Amino acid sequence: MRLACFSLALTGFSLVSTLGFAEPLGSHQPHIEASLGARVSKVGSAGYDPFASSDELVQLSLGVGATALRFDNLSLAAVGFWDYGGHSGLARGESTELTTQRLTIGPELRYHVIPELYAFVHALPAFAYTVTSLNDDVAQATRYARHWSYGVDGAVGAGYEFFGRRSGESIQPRLWVIAEGGYGYLGSTHLQLKPDANSGAPERTAAIDLGSLSLAGPYLRISAAVSF
Amino acid sequence: MKSFAWLMCGTLLLGCGGRPSTWDKTFVPEDGSSGVSATYGLTGSVAVVDQSLGRVTMLRSPSALNLSVESFDVGRDLANAQVSADRQSLFLLSRGVQPQRNPGDEPPKLMVIDGGIDPSVKQTYTLNEALDQLALDPDNRWAVVYGGSGLVVNENELLFVDLDKPVSDPTAVAPKTLRSFGQSPDRLTFTETLTIPGIDARRLLIVERDKDIALVDLTKPTGAEVTVPLPPADNGSDGSSAQVVYSQDDQAGVFIGVRVAGSSSVFLLQLTASMQDEPAFSVVTNLVDVGGFASTIDFVRTSLGLRLVALVGTNAVLVDPVTAISATATMPAAFTSIRRITAELDPQAGTSGTDIALLYGSNTTQIAYFTLGGAPGALYRSIEASDIGVGVQDVIDVPGDEFHDRKILETPSKDFFVLDLTTRQTAPMKTTTGLTLNVSPDGERVWAYQAGSPGFATVDFATLHPISLIAERNINSVFEINAANGARNAVALHFGEGYQGGVGATVVDVSNPSTATARFFSGFEFGGI
Repeated sequence: MRLACFSLALTGFSLVSTLGFAEPLGSHQPHIEASLGARVSKVGSAGYDPFASSDELVQLSLGVGATALRFDNLSLAAVGFWDYGGHSGLARGESTELTTQRLTIGPELRYHVIPELYAFVHALPAFAYTVTSLNDDVAQATRYARHWSYGVDGAVGAGYEFFGRRSGESIQPRLWVIAEGGYGYLGSTHLQLKPDANSGAPERTAAIDLGSLSLAGPYLRISAAVSF
Repeated sequence: MKSFAWLMCGTLLLGCGGRPSTWDKTFVPEDGSSGVSATYGLTGSVAVVDQSLGRVTMLRSPSALNLSVESFDVGRDLANAQVSADRQSLFLLSRGVQPQRNPGDEPPKLMVIDGGIDPSVKQTYTLNEALDQLALDPDNRWAVVYGGSGLVVNENELLFVDLDKPVSDPTAVAPKTLRSFGQSPDRLTFTETLTIPGIDARRLLIVERDKDIALVDLTKPTGAEVTVPLPPADNGSDGSSAQVVYSQDDQAGVFIGVRVAGSSSVFLLQLTASMQDEPAFSVVTNLVDVGGFASTIDFVRTSLGLRLVALVGTNAVLVDPVTAISATATMPAAFTSIRRITAELDPQAGTSGTDIALLYGSNTTQIAYFTLGGAPGALYRSIEASDIGVGVQDVIDVPGDEFHDRKILETPSKDFFVLDLTTRQTAPMKTTTGLTLNVSPDGERVWAYQAGSPGFATVDFATLHPISLIAERNINSVFEINAANGARNAVALHFGEGYQGGVGATVVDVSNPSTATARFFSGFEFGGI
């Protein structure tokens, strides 16, 4: 019953939206696009505590995408994001730092409600490289833990075209603001912080175990994009 | 960027949660000025006090050259911490939350932590008043807590904690107020089991105060005690106790000797059975002139019986505690300290023989062996002196069975000596700097170090072979502990630059002490957060 209602609503919404614009979508459905924005995640892992006094993780977000298939208002794009950011803090008075790079690539399903507005959903495999460090006052050296982790970003969002010719025939660039929210899952890794070779740390320095870290958590990304 | 992030967090409706406040509290080692030291060495672990988190971090050794960490919450505002005489337990006295505002506020407490290879909390006694002072029974039966700093303080109240009773027993912690001619207790001495003629054997607690001493019967600590006012000093001012010693003799009974500050007399107390049930003993006092201000006193057994010896200048005045008749032995130097070494020379000697004592002092370069067993009718046999070239500040005992006849002589100079009491030979150990000495719990070696420098060393008593080691960071203290697999490790502790910032350790295998194989650990301040 719920499925039937949902199908009816979707069909109705599609019909209304189709009636909403007489002209074809044309370049409102971006052939290619590039975006620049910010991603904020809430990291609940206890392993994040030594590096930040709060749970947020802010990252610069660069994205690219290209529409691969079109079915009227519906389109399928290939998108990819590179998120870079980190946090520095104090752990019991000793300075710490975490930087992470996250690469996500995968398909994004888009639906144009009106030519200037589309909604999307995507599930993107994620690959993250994280470097954590601790300035060890006793060893008088900086300790590091570097690791790869893997996961997936699942999100829904919307893009709004705030600059561009009305006609879909125009091939001039269009500017968009895109917002998405979802959950980014990443597997956890054990933080065994060791000094690098020739760092000046004492010989046979044992690792400091700061527990396991997972950068998984809900996130929000807001970007500005240009499309052609 | 930050405000943008917060804006986004708000829109996420998720909130940006924080972290436990423990991460924000910088580790600062204790400096010992408040009655609590930064570190304590136990038999199987090293305790590092982490006052800012109200916890103690125990470093244990699962195997040679390895360390692991476990932390225990010990209560807020530590007032006192002490290691038991056998180094098996760590006692921690905390004031808790003061003033108390809520029913859930942490109360004052006394916590006992087992310091073996697998540390654990043995007992936690809750107290109803914040107290600062702690005295431990060397036999591990009693702990006495006293000396508060509240709005109203009963200076003469002692809390007796019976360590043999479970915490759930309401009589485990028993308060007692001493009758007073004076003020707060200065020193507490737990006696051995004493056989007072006419009553059952018992142990006593001797409480020294500024004008009197109190004798508490430990068979019933809350019962009536015996309080004895001290005689005045020679200039007429109130007499105060400078030293208390005790002994017992099969024939003469039990005696307590008190060296009164500023007095040329020693105060003798003979304990006898009382005519009443409580207290079960009474005291007969005697004041004996020893001809000058004694630098120290002790009881010794001579061939003529028990004597109180008082060192006065170059004289050793031997006082018969029964008759108060004194005799004088001339010493080759003005020794200021005496240490009985009878049991160290012969652990089977028992209490029936005569004593041998070591005489020493920081103002003379000589040490002497005072042999008190002489020919029949003679009070002593000899005082044999030898010059070691430097004064002796203190004598450190060596535990265990293997080297029971060794002593460490601490000197005011940089050097120290290993003294073999049997051969009467001293082995001087030259050092480039003044060192802190720490005898290993098994009594097989001594560790020497200077806090604030990277150097430390060990001297094995079997060979007297010193091994000097240079750690890669400055050392705060060195302890030897048992490892879980039977190995033994020396743990040299380090703190961060500026005496803060973290805790680390260099671990050396005692069976092969070498920094070529030593391992370095740090980050103990994070353990267990």
